[in-house]
Amino acid sequence: MTGAPPIVEMTGISISFPGVKALDAVDFRLFPGEVHTLMGENGAGKSTLIKALTGVYKIDEGQILVAGEERRFGGTADAQAAGIATVYQEVNLCSNLSIGENVMLGHEVRGPFGINWKATHRAAADVLATLGLEQLDLRRPLATLSLAIQQLVAISRAMVTKPKVLILDEPTSSLDANEVANLFTVIRRLRDQGVAILFVTHFLDQVYAISDRITVLRNGGFVGEYPTRELDRTTLISKMIGKDFATLRSLGSERQSHHYEPRGEPLLKAEDLGRKGSSEPTDLELHQGEVLGLAGLLGSGRTELARLLYGADKPDSGTVWLRGKKTDIHNPTAALAHRIAFSSENRRDEGIIRDLTVRENLVLAVQAKRGWFRPLSRKEQDALVRKYLTELNVRPADPERPIKFLSGGNQQKVLLGRWLATEPDLLILDEPTRGIDVGAKAEIQAAVAALAAKGVAVVFISSELEEVVRLSDRIIVMKDHRKLAELENGPHVTAETIVAVIADEGDDEEGDSE
Amino acid sequence: MRSIPRVARAFAVAGALTLALAACGGGDDDTSTSGGDELVTVGFVAVGPEGGWRQANEANVQDTFTEEAGFELKYAPATNLDQRSQIDAFTSFVDEGVDVILLSATEGAGWEDSLRRAQEAEIPVILVDRGIEPDDTSLYVTRIAPDNYEVSTAVAEWAVSEFPDGGNYFVLEGPAGVSVVNERNRGWDDAVASVPGLVKVGAQTANWSTEEAKSVFETVLKSNNNDIQLVFAQNDEMGLGAAIAVEEAGLTPGVDVKIATIDGTKPALEALAEGRLSFVAEYNPLFGETLLEVVEQVLNGEEVEPYIVVPSETFDSPEAATAALPSRKY
Amino acid sequence: MTDVASRLAARRGAIVRNQAFWGVIAIVLLLAVNVVADPGYLSIGYNSGHLSGNLIDILRASAPILMIAVGMCLVVATGGIDLSVGSIMVVAGAVSMELLSGMDGTTGDAALTLAIALGIATVLGAVNGVLVSVVGLQPFISTLVMMLAGRGIAKVITGGQNTTADNDSFAWLANGYVLGVPVVFLLAIVIVVLVALLVRRSALGLMLEAIGMDSRASRLAGVKRRSLQLTVYSVSGLLAGIAGVFATASVMTVDVSRTGYQLELDAILAVVIGGTSLAGGKFSIGGAVIGGLLIATLDKTVVFLGVPAAATPAFKAIVIVVLCLLQSERVRSLFRHRRALRAQSQKEAVAA
Repeated sequence: MTGAPPIVEMTGISISFPGVKALDAVDFRLFPGEVHTLMGENGAGKSTLIKALTGVYKIDEGQILVAGEERRFGGTADAQAAGIATVYQEVNLCSNLSIGENVMLGHEVRGPFGINWKATHRAAADVLATLGLEQLDLRRPLATLSLAIQQLVAISRAMVTKPKVLILDEPTSSLDANEVANLFTVIRRLRDQGVAILFVTHFLDQVYAISDRITVLRNGGFVGEYPTRELDRTTLISKMIGKDFATLRSLGSERQSHHYEPRGEPLLKAEDLGRKGSSEPTDLELHQGEVLGLAGLLGSGRTELARLLYGADKPDSGTVWLRGKKTDIHNPTAALAHRIAFSSENRRDEGIIRDLTVRENLVLAVQAKRGWFRPLSRKEQDALVRKYLTELNVRPADPERPIKFLSGGNQQKVLLGRWLATEPDLLILDEPTRGIDVGAKAEIQAAVAALAAKGVAVVFISSELEEVVRLSDRIIVMKDHRKLAELENGPHVTAETIVAVIADEGDDEEGDSE
Repeated sequence: MRSIPRVARAFAVAGALTLALAACGGGDDDTSTSGGDELVTVGFVAVGPEGGWRQANEANVQDTFTEEAGFELKYAPATNLDQRSQIDAFTSFVDEGVDVILLSATEGAGWEDSLRRAQEAEIPVILVDRGIEPDDTSLYVTRIAPDNYEVSTAVAEWAVSEFPDGGNYFVLEGPAGVSVVNERNRGWDDAVASVPGLVKVGAQTANWSTEEAKSVFETVLKSNNNDIQLVFAQNDEMGLGAAIAVEEAGLTPGVDVKIATIDGTKPALEALAEGRLSFVAEYNPLFGETLLEVVEQVLNGEEVEPYIVVPSETFDSPEAATAALPSRKY
Repeated sequence: MTDVASRLAARRGAIVRNQAFWGVIAIVLLLAVNVVADPGYLSIGYNSGHLSGNLIDILRASAPILMIAVGMCLVVATGGIDLSVGSIMVVAGAVSMELLSGMDGTTGDAALTLAIALGIATVLGAVNGVLVSVVGLQPFISTLVMMLAGRGIAKVITGGQNTTADNDSFAWLANGYVLGVPVVFLLAIVIVVLVALLVRRSALGLMLEAIGMDSRASRLAGVKRRSLQLTVYSVSGLLAGIAGVFATASVMTVDVSRTGYQLELDAILAVVIGGTSLAGGKFSIGGAVIGGLLIATLDKTVVFLGVPAAATPAFKAIVIVVLCLLQSERVRSLFRHRRALRAQSQKEAVAA
């Protein structure tokens, strides 16, 4: 870009894991003062490349130059000492410590009597200020914050050492538009200060908004390095997935033209369903074969409402009728017995059970529903597993592999399989496509469409408004823990419509209050 | 059928106990100082449930220091024979400022600091049964106990006369480090060492427990091909355990293997009467009266001997046991 | 050729990494030490209608430990711990002896007593379960309360005394023989196998592991945490009750301050030696059995070798520390590394 030599230059990097070539002769360059995006589907080798750079994985072949010198790091800490800081996709902070303590963990300011907490908190405040987060209370425990804020705290923490290279591995996957804009301001500021930023994301919009250059990987191989302005979106996507974009587009878009007209008795009807502090009383109707989108910003109460429907949290007001009968859904077991399934947005902590195998993860809910004393035979398990691994195209299709070794998108597919195996009438999907690659996303969207066609009612929650619009028959727009509006979907509805509803309401409210 | 109501009662009490524990509200109800100011407060740092002997001893002390006799006794048994809990009880007696402390230490060592605190507070300490190690007589007023050394010497003398041609013997000890164990070992060793024929094939702790003694001795018999003629069990419970092990090995206790024990509890005397044990040396627990006299002397400022020995008997035959059984209180 | 060799190597690697394997090695080594001390150690004789020998003694001694170790294993799998097993043992023992001492010594009395003692033990376990699952206390605290309360209950039951009773049928449970083999060991093995079948043939094992690994995710998957925890703590209580019956029936005496004393530690140790992590999740009942056998072998070896009483705890500690070191992947890789270095330096020496 500029005439300056690259701060990081990796050439011919190869890494093999037993049975898999994770990286095959990959080149990568990073210049000071640029934002460089690493693109590729899940499993393409993005995370592996980052880990090769920071020394978490040992490389089999190739050369890593940092500031012109050949380097091999012994791990994240070693790399950090050399000015390469990393913020990983999953937040790795101590939830029982305060924000300030988390930011300064390991870099506490020491005085003659041990840690000088006053100075430490001052230093933390300085770091937060550079990220535009002055409003955060340093002494608040991390556990009380949303995932989004936690992510920002993790980034602040990485900035403490004033690194020359900042690696952001999907930092935006849990942030809403506002927070992303916030973060981008900081990233631009850092870039202008000469920090080299390596950015991994799945959001194409963001790639084009922030990055100067793009390196594309596919199946562990190097596809190419391109200046962002010379690569249009369609070309980028086809380079990532290695196939024509048109096939992809047809998968999701067919949904909007096939609208389901609800008739007869609703499958589920809720009146005044709510819980103090998390969800205002809400009315809701859901019909068989219908996809109901829940749209709204992060923290608008989408997840909370979904959890009430499933009994994951206990509602303290309202009545629910299921198939016309008044029903009390007070816990997940009851929900499953009533053929309601719920996939949490928190895949890591509330979805997969990391140390269990793909098979065990997949059969868990069916088994729990049957009770432990009526076990599924191995044959039944294998049949279920085979069915859903094939149907959902899970890779690798190895049922005995611990699920933690699968990529995020494939974990999500296994989870979808877990809920489908319970044969639900109502499936609640909370952010099923967050943080997964374009291919897996399209496959999950296609599966949702197919389910609705089979008569399953689906509640679909996503931060990506386009996705909600593309899939839903009806859309409930939420804000501040309550229902703002309910939209019949149709050709006239777009993401902008929803944004307008959210924005308008604010003005209306002001008008109302007079 | 007498036991069933007791079990029922136990559970009523136990239920209440669990509730109290769960509510974290174990309140002390023995701080009743209402009995008049002339009552002498006596803190008893006791061992608690350990065996029949201890039960008899502590019940005897509690029966002696009654309010009628002019005493308020604060009984503090150790939790599971833990010295830590004893030190805590001891310290709180010192802080409370009781008039005199009676101490039966579960372990001999580690009492110096606590005893010094009592001394600074000018509270006399009388050791009951168990001694302390090292035995620094300046730290306490007196120790009143049957003499372990003498009692185990008596066992040893019986053994020497019973086995004039010698034989192999095994010692079942209490937990390592307890002063009683050391004293009983010394008394035995000093008397037996001079006899060339008696060969010690080993010694092992069985923690005063019947169950452990049985398990230990069955293995000891195997490792010595049953070639053991005499067992010196340092308490009755372990001796009874050894007897079971002997029977299970297909041998006859009292004939193939003779077992001698110390304490003289009822079950042991019954076993002696049946011939399963061969010798029981009493270690007299009932010295409440003597203790009372000593406490009064100490409170009156009189000098007392640093060690007051409680006399004990021995039983060397089924007949002697049968004769003593009807009057056995423990 | 190389394929077969590498597969064999891979299998060997898997065995070496299996923690219970090192438990087996430790048992074999301890037995070997005993054989060195006395070549006849392993011989099994037949006298007065039953098998006898040191191995038989070890099997008998292991029975109570196996019971509590298996119960502990299930509790640990859910991410909990049961510190009360030793105390529940003494309660079961105290109830048995107190009841039997007031009865006539018939088989019917023994059966009734057994049922009452095990029933009470199960109830105490269920109380743990309620405290953990319904009240939501931490397992450590709940079972600690029960550990203290249990011994207190036993003392109240027996009036603080060590109680003795006579009942041949009851004693047979611990001391009898069937076809020359100790009843107590047969019972223990039958119970272990039943529990293992129950856990592995049903989906109980999977559910317990799921709770232990990620209780939030498993709750959302519909796993009934409360009822499973209640079940597991009750089972642990029941098994501890059986262990208490075994321990007291062998001498027909309950020793309120000694029976089951600190055996919870042995149980935890057995579970850990068997390769079950105290953090919960994957568990191995077979491993816990090996751990239990190892502890019994160790206890017996100490006596057989005549290790002085004062040195006994140190001896046990050394054996267990060495075992844990061997089980550690990191320590083993250190050894491999040194061996490789040595081999290399030898090669270089030869070349020079």
